[in-house]
Amino acid sequence: MSGNRVAGKGRVDVGKSVRFTFDGKPFVGLKGDTVSSALLANGVHLMGRSFKYHRPRGPVAAGSEEPNALIGTRRGPGRFEPNTRATVQEIWQGLETTSQNKYPSLKWDIGAVNDAAYMLFSAGFYYKTFMWPKSFWHRVYEPFIRAAAGLGVSPTEEDPDTYASRFLHCDVLVVGAGPAGLAAARAAAVDGLKVVLVDENAEVGGSLLSEPQALVDGQRAWDWLAAEVEALKAAGVRIMTRTTAIGYYHQNMIGMVERLTDHLSDLPADTPRERMWRVRAKRVVLAQGALEKPLVFHGNDCPGVMLAGSAQTYLNRYGVLVGQRPVILTSHDSAWFAAFDLADAGAQVQAIVDTRESVRDDLLAEAGKRGIRLKIGHTATATKGRLRVTSLRVNPVTDGKVGAGYVIGCDAVLMSGGWTPSLHLFSHTRGSLAWDEDLTTFLPKDTPENCVIAGASRGLWGVEAVLNDGADKGRAVAADLGGTGGETACSVASDRTGTGVSHTELPTDLNPGKAKAFVDYQNDVTAKDLRLAVREGMRSIEHVKRYTTNGMATDQGKMSNINGLNIAADALGKKQPQVGLTTFRPPYTPTSFGAFAGYHRGAHFEVTRKTRIDGWAEENGAVFEPVGQWRRAWHFPKPGEDMDTAVRRECVATRQSVGIFDASTLGKIEVVGPDAVEFMNRMYTNPWTKLAPGRCRYGLLCGDDGFIRDDGVIGRLTTDRFHVTTTTGGAARVLNMMEDYLQTEWPDLNVWLTSTTEQWATIALNGPKAAALLAPLVEGVDLTDEAFPHMSCVECTVAGMPARLFRVSFTGEIGFEVNVPAPRGRTLWEVLWEAGRQYDICAYGTETMHVLRAEKGYIIVGQDTDGTVTPKDAGLDWAVGKSKPDFVGKRGMARPDLTSEGRKQLVGLLTEDHSRLEEGAQIVFDPTQALPMTMVGHVTSSYHSDAVGRPIALALVEGGHGRMGETVHIPMPDRTIAAKITPMVFVDPDNARLKI
Amino acid sequence: MLLITCPYCEETLPEAEFAYAGQAHVIRPENPSGQSDEQWEEFLFIRENPKGPHFERWRHLHGCGRFFNAVRDTVSDKFLTTYRAGAPRPDLASLGGDAK
Amino acid sequence: MNKPMSSEPEVLAESAAVRVRLAKPCARLSLRARGDLAPLEAALGLSLPGKIGERCTGGELEALRLGPDEWMLHLPEGTVEGVLSSCAGVYETLPHSLVDVSGREVTFQIDGARATELLTLGMARDPESIAVGEGRRTNFDGVTVTIWRDADSAYRMDVWHSFAPHVLHLLETGCRELAAEAV
Repeated sequence: MSGNRVAGKGRVDVGKSVRFTFDGKPFVGLKGDTVSSALLANGVHLMGRSFKYHRPRGPVAAGSEEPNALIGTRRGPGRFEPNTRATVQEIWQGLETTSQNKYPSLKWDIGAVNDAAYMLFSAGFYYKTFMWPKSFWHRVYEPFIRAAAGLGVSPTEEDPDTYASRFLHCDVLVVGAGPAGLAAARAAAVDGLKVVLVDENAEVGGSLLSEPQALVDGQRAWDWLAAEVEALKAAGVRIMTRTTAIGYYHQNMIGMVERLTDHLSDLPADTPRERMWRVRAKRVVLAQGALEKPLVFHGNDCPGVMLAGSAQTYLNRYGVLVGQRPVILTSHDSAWFAAFDLADAGAQVQAIVDTRESVRDDLLAEAGKRGIRLKIGHTATATKGRLRVTSLRVNPVTDGKVGAGYVIGCDAVLMSGGWTPSLHLFSHTRGSLAWDEDLTTFLPKDTPENCVIAGASRGLWGVEAVLNDGADKGRAVAADLGGTGGETACSVASDRTGTGVSHTELPTDLNPGKAKAFVDYQNDVTAKDLRLAVREGMRSIEHVKRYTTNGMATDQGKMSNINGLNIAADALGKKQPQVGLTTFRPPYTPTSFGAFAGYHRGAHFEVTRKTRIDGWAEENGAVFEPVGQWRRAWHFPKPGEDMDTAVRRECVATRQSVGIFDASTLGKIEVVGPDAVEFMNRMYTNPWTKLAPGRCRYGLLCGDDGFIRDDGVIGRLTTDRFHVTTTTGGAARVLNMMEDYLQTEWPDLNVWLTSTTEQWATIALNGPKAAALLAPLVEGVDLTDEAFPHMSCVECTVAGMPARLFRVSFTGEIGFEVNVPAPRGRTLWEVLWEAGRQYDICAYGTETMHVLRAEKGYIIVGQDTDGTVTPKDAGLDWAVGKSKPDFVGKRGMARPDLTSEGRKQLVGLLTEDHSRLEEGAQIVFDPTQALPMTMVGHVTSSYHSDAVGRPIALALVEGGHGRMGETVHIPMPDRTIAAKITPMVFVDPDNARLKI
Repeated sequence: MLLITCPYCEETLPEAEFAYAGQAHVIRPENPSGQSDEQWEEFLFIRENPKGPHFERWRHLHGCGRFFNAVRDTVSDKFLTTYRAGAPRPDLASLGGDAK
Repeated sequence: MNKPMSSEPEVLAESAAVRVRLAKPCARLSLRARGDLAPLEAALGLSLPGKIGERCTGGELEALRLGPDEWMLHLPEGTVEGVLSSCAGVYETLPHSLVDVSGREVTFQIDGARATELLTLGMARDPESIAVGEGRRTNFDGVTVTIWRDADSAYRMDVWHSFAPHVLHLLETGCRELAAEAV
């Protein structure tokens, strides 16, 4: 055991030593240690370098508020995490840790040159230093900023850990399991109320873990705590440790991150590393306690300078003396108790330096008993020591005048500038704060949420006050929810109540212009920077914060905000509330991306929908593409084929004989009811009244703005029943739009909509042999032009399966779409495949489908249209039932802009040099015009077409319909391509091929 | 995540079950073709953007599927009330919202 | 994962905490109607539940009210035609929509000591708000599902077929995760 470990102190397990490394060097700690407590036990204070000046830094705190001691942690390949607070990370056998922001080593760091050049990095340096010359930006400044920016090093490998999430509903959530939270949970756990108590630490207890001397109702604090935990469990309270409430969201939703494995040496199976809890609580009790403030003086960042309360925690909770010869520097009574605890544990306390003019008699007496030198009414003006503090310079202050300084040798400076209530989560609720002049701090006032705040986080001090306040609040929320609890006030002996005063920078006799008195340790913001910001015109704390970056580091200003505000207010000559407090935002502590992602990574990143025929496609070598949430077979390359070759083969095969295509992803909506036809008339641009049952029609759907939204073939099965199809990506959107009109505009219509997208598997057969292939399998209808002409539909039997058969074509060839109940889709596919062998049937994917339809000038909504295209623009005027009194989009189409000349219209393009255009390429009329050219449209679809013998394209071109035969130009990076405007139909404009 | 009361299910449920659907009480005219360009522009595009109570539509998309109306205070993000589609616009004063 | 669903009942995931099985295929009808439902109820042989979330059974027919004018009917495979034709007989009196969606969905049966907690991996609403014997359409991991609570720790979850692998993937993960937890 090292010399800094105190026998009989702490809650660590002295029987279990734990080996770990720091910067490659082996260390031994005890089970229950954090990296920080274990290193301190080994006499190591230097744990990192600061962000901007690369100054040597050690831990200043013992908890999650730590700004300095950020380390990297490693657990084998992929399991590296930067910026872990050494004060939070528990050690385990084999843990590897590294310091950050240093090169080549922590003790000798080249980046520390920034410290000497600190004038360059003063407040607002981002806005000043990199201003000129302009040419330096790309070559010098940006590379420099990029190299310097960021804390630590990002992991480079994929994270092998898993992350989880869960919802949790409870009556009362208590955040913080210190004395206030424990008492609140106990008092609320009545009448079956579901109570959850959460704490970010490895064990509950909060400040009680650092104050074992307290006697609660006569019981020693830690005995009382153990009994209380048992009582809470017996009362059904769910206690969650290592769980941080990171954010307080609307209506009592609290986000919490539970860390499940970071403290374990062996990773258990099937256990996520972290779990995000989304908790909805009827009532919330915030008992987050208070955070100690540093004092602001020159050299207050030297390793060994630490918060006094944290030193007390290291001693009582971990049995670690942070220094053998500490000096206490304080403006608050609390640090005196730290001095006494350290002295009692064997430290030679060099002095207690108190900035106040007088101190309570009992404290003076206790100090006297221990023979501690007292420096009342003193200030601190400097520290000495590079990698560890060696002395503190103090000066008497008389009537505001700083006297001559002298030096006290020491190996640690334990400071306290008083305590700030932790108001982070309360601030997330948009709760209002009230300035308390006596405590020189903000206290919680009102909140719009169902939440109460208890204990030290509302400015109370001392275990007894906090315990009883917690119990009161717990009782109150229980009563709110109908629970009844009795009075259970408790009394605490050996309680350490106290008060203090608040400071800006400590007064000094040295040149304040050269002082490095840090306010924000993590972002290296000094008091001088804050005053400079005010001198340079910043008036609001929000501006001061952004100009100096005070409070903008990963610690969210836990230590720096109030000191920063006090200094800015002083510089402005205003009261703090007039300067304002910046808003705390979630998360309370840095949170891994993994915790936010939860289960949604890898294969589970998002839904991948597959059709019933997807398996066949996969077995037959399909290459897939995502279409909306679906994955669809894109093309079916044979061995050695690239995509172009495969698609050309599929196109030719379909036009020569027969192709088979999985169209199951098409959206399908069953429209049923006596008013079905009226509904269709109102929704779609086309007229439906005269469409006879057994016939189908291409339907065009517009928005009320007159622009195309969707399209699809719609069959009328019976008078009152339509089978509507939509685009693959539009299915949900179209159904939502239809429901919207039906429910809110036309609730009088007797018609209902049901999604049948997944009820049916849809197989399209296209090609000259399609009818010949299918006819022998169909019962109930003859596949002839007479009995079943193009654009017919029928309910029949196909290969023994009940089917809805459509004769439609999206290729220009004879075409059928066979719908069978989805579970039988693959069987039908295989039957058709076998039957098609005699015709050299070819399975084709979405790319071939796109080529074939483009050759016929059929549009793809969303590719050839973009939400600003009218039916007329798309050449689909024929699909608009102009004589209908109304339909969605009718009035919109008559808007002046939609009827004006020069709109972009959909046309065909054929390049003069037979090159294939790029989809999305911009079009100009005059390629010789000066830059920037006037763009008059763009290419929407472009493919090689064997049927045409050259590449074809569709494009939106200004006034395109009136420019047939004209030449337009498509400027590309290397050349300009000329193309002729043509009609959209490239193949079989007379539809001769549709006839059987 | 907000809590929203569905006036059809008569349950207060997480926002995850709902979808926002724009401003409420924008009534599609009986005869759109009789509307002037200005009237149609008003119907199509002109929307409120209040600081305070806002009449808006939601759909219980993953629940009963109904569109309904709501009054949400855009400052506090709290729902003052929800009511069925077709029901009259509620009186703000009776909802205790800060009408601004 | 994302393998296609088999049509046979089978255990898909099982741990000490919870078990997930694929229910045997059944017929499913989406019923939409409003007004006086008596003719339909006579044709179906049950009185349709009157409150959203309520269920009732009549013979082999099980009905869950999903919306103000919407019910999901579960019935044995092969009995659809009879129900369709008897309801067609009352269409003139009470116009309605009855659509066969048997092929659209699959059902997971979830049971075991921590079945309720398994749902909290993906469901934002409080599972306790669904009483035993009731059901709700809701959202699980971003997917619309219908939950039938059959007992304190026994649920059925109807999912559209193409979403089922995604949902099952999370259920399987949860099965293992819950079993690994010390309760």
